[in-house]
Amino acid sequence: MTSEYRGPQLAREDDELSRELRAIYAPPPHANYWATLETRIMARIYAGATAGMWWSVPDSWLRAGLLAAGLAVAVAGSLLIRSQARSSRLAYETIANPVAADVFEIARRVQLSEEEETLRRLTGR
Amino acid sequence: MTAAVLPLRERTRFRTKARAVAEQPTDERALVSAAQRGEREAFSALVHNHQRRAYAVARAIVVNHEDAEDAVQDAFLHAYRALDRFLPDQAFGAWLHRIVANAALDITRRRKVRDADELSESVASPFRDPAEVGEVRQRLREALDTLPARQRSVIVLHDVEGFKHAEIGVVLGIPEGTARSDLHYARSHLRRVLSTLRSEL
Repeated sequence: MTSEYRGPQLAREDDELSRELRAIYAPPPHANYWATLETRIMARIYAGATAGMWWSVPDSWLRAGLLAAGLAVAVAGSLLIRSQARSSRLAYETIANPVAADVFEIARRVQLSEEEETLRRLTGR
Repeated sequence: MTAAVLPLRERTRFRTKARAVAEQPTDERALVSAAQRGEREAFSALVHNHQRRAYAVARAIVVNHEDAEDAVQDAFLHAYRALDRFLPDQAFGAWLHRIVANAALDITRRRKVRDADELSESVASPFRDPAEVGEVRQRLREALDTLPARQRSVIVLHDVEGFKHAEIGVVLGIPEGTARSDLHYARSHLRRVLSTLRSEL
């Protein structure tokens, strides 16, 4: 209550008001209610902690994952560039030397790896 | 969210240990420290000890029982997540009440844009909000609704929960003098309403 002086009439009215407010805002009286609420709160906390474990990964895993993904992108890019270079070279050879433009030979060459192709050139076959 | 999320064995273990911790004359600081170390049983004991008062703070701010209950749950969840930011020299209750007040204010703001038909997730209990009972109380409740929200919170925290002006200031984030004047205006208004009611009955 405030420290200001109130006459007996005001004091009575304030007491009545406080009584009514306490009745209106009374918390649930049942012990069961509070036990249930406590359980629900802890369930939410437990669920939150478990959910965290589901989706969150340790930082070290995250770093390794990013590194692996970066490496995969680099390898894929390199393969794409080599494949395009090989296609261009084949197209050039086809125009420059039509005799050699045997489709079966071309198809066979496409299947060859760089190492095999180099070996073929060195051995002259 | 339901309690079923928690496995039965875990639930029982928590409850048993929480009761044991709560019943011990343990220093609250020790409980808070244990909770900060990740011991959920200790936090459960803190919930057990503080939930009624937390409800009262929330109920002073929101307009009904269901929202107060939601605010209490949100607040404890938030407090659990923010435990590492709690300083040992603080009073846990005051710190928690500030979080509860923020959760309640947040719910009040969201409620303004929420679909009125949305079902609430309140705990099924035989409890009936006392504010729904009785003509005088109904009229008084209507009068409380006409008060500015802050004045209503101040008078409820003061008259129902016995908070001092300074404590109200901390919980609601307002100067003590503002809490004092809010209380004065709220009381004058409600006194007039009660007086009118008395003359009508």
